[in-house]
Amino acid sequence: MTYRRYMATLKIDDAELRSRRAFCELTDEDLALLRSLRPFAEKHTSEFVDKFYELLLSHEHTRKFFPDAGTIARVKKTQREYFLGLFDGRCDMNYVEDRLRVGTTHERIGLAPTWYLGAYRKYLDLLHTGLFAELPVKEASAAFSALERIVFFDVTLAIDTYIAANRETIGRHQAALRELSTPVIRVHDRILLLPLVGAIDSVRAQQIMDTVLLRIAEEKAKCIIIDIAGVPVVDTKVADSLVKTTAAVRLLGAQTILTGISAQVARTIVQLGVDISTMHTLARLQEGIELALDLVGKKIEEKRSASARGDAG
Amino acid sequence: MTGVIPILRMGDVLLTTVHVELRDAVAEAFQSDVLLALEKRRARGLIIDISGLDMVDTYVARILAETGRMAMLMGTKTVLVGMRPEIAATLVRMGYEMRGVHTALDLDEGLELLQKLPAG
Repeated sequence: MTYRRYMATLKIDDAELRSRRAFCELTDEDLALLRSLRPFAEKHTSEFVDKFYELLLSHEHTRKFFPDAGTIARVKKTQREYFLGLFDGRCDMNYVEDRLRVGTTHERIGLAPTWYLGAYRKYLDLLHTGLFAELPVKEASAAFSALERIVFFDVTLAIDTYIAANRETIGRHQAALRELSTPVIRVHDRILLLPLVGAIDSVRAQQIMDTVLLRIAEEKAKCIIIDIAGVPVVDTKVADSLVKTTAAVRLLGAQTILTGISAQVARTIVQLGVDISTMHTLARLQEGIELALDLVGKKIEEKRSASARGDAG
Repeated sequence: MTGVIPILRMGDVLLTTVHVELRDAVAEAFQSDVLLALEKRRARGLIIDISGLDMVDTYVARILAETGRMAMLMGTKTVLVGMRPEIAATLVRMGYEMRGVHTALDLDEGLELLQKLPAG
């Protein structure tokens, strides 16, 4: 029951429930009144739900959520239960929990609040017509007010949950993107490489620093090569974040080599007056790797046979 | 020696492991213990291992950096070893870069670094 945890996300406890009810002016008398309307509701459930789905199926945006007769039969059954629930005359934590499902389900299937709110209007229409046709005006009007209160109470919960669920989805996507945006690769013993591609904003800069530091500690790396050939714009902010990362890397006892500095970037950095003297900077990644190897006491050598041939020729 | 942080001598290297929070009296005792040890007998290097510290704020960072600079005045190079990634990130974000102190990944690296640094 995933929607249950939204009770915590939305911080719904007894006090919050009372405050939400009070704001919708949903009183115990309203609930009693609704309970007394149960026979009216039971008589009309099927008819109202059918008309409700007529509207949904007649509109192309909402029709696509109901691909076959089986689905329609199933959702109609759920809808009848929901509709009758309005006339249960109770509004406790169980009731709220049940309502949270609406918002999470809509978020999951991608049904925007536009259609949910628009469709709810249909119920109110039907109820209004039904109540005023069957009851004296005064009673009908009181009944409709009570209904409005519980309906808006429901709708606010559904929308709040929809937004919370939506935020969570966005958060998950951002986390996935962030992970993809800082691929720290181990290129040799104790040498790491981070090829940066795409724009760097402040969130990403922070992510870069955290990931780099974590990986250096994990791998016991001696140095990290950060290649910025794929970063389109290097402005003061980006340069500053790189300087900060270098300083933090040094605190761990490792070194940073910045490679992939194009003529344009070199010009920008100097013109902006950013002090990057604390970093090793090189134009090409290849040179960066050579320097990194040098720092760990290794070097790339041509094969002896090749050099021997060279000597002979 | 008066403080709670033990200072060991390994040949010409002083080795301390900070495992408790460096607060007021503890920090002061630590600093004076280190300097007195250096006064008694010259050491080539001082290694401060902080891998046991979960948290280093600017106060602690300042004490460590200052101790390093004071040791430097007495002809001893200081290497700070074992800083945790999250601590490094926090310190740098607060603008604290601990210039003037050498750093290394762990104790072994710190000893190795001391061998490489020019004496003086």
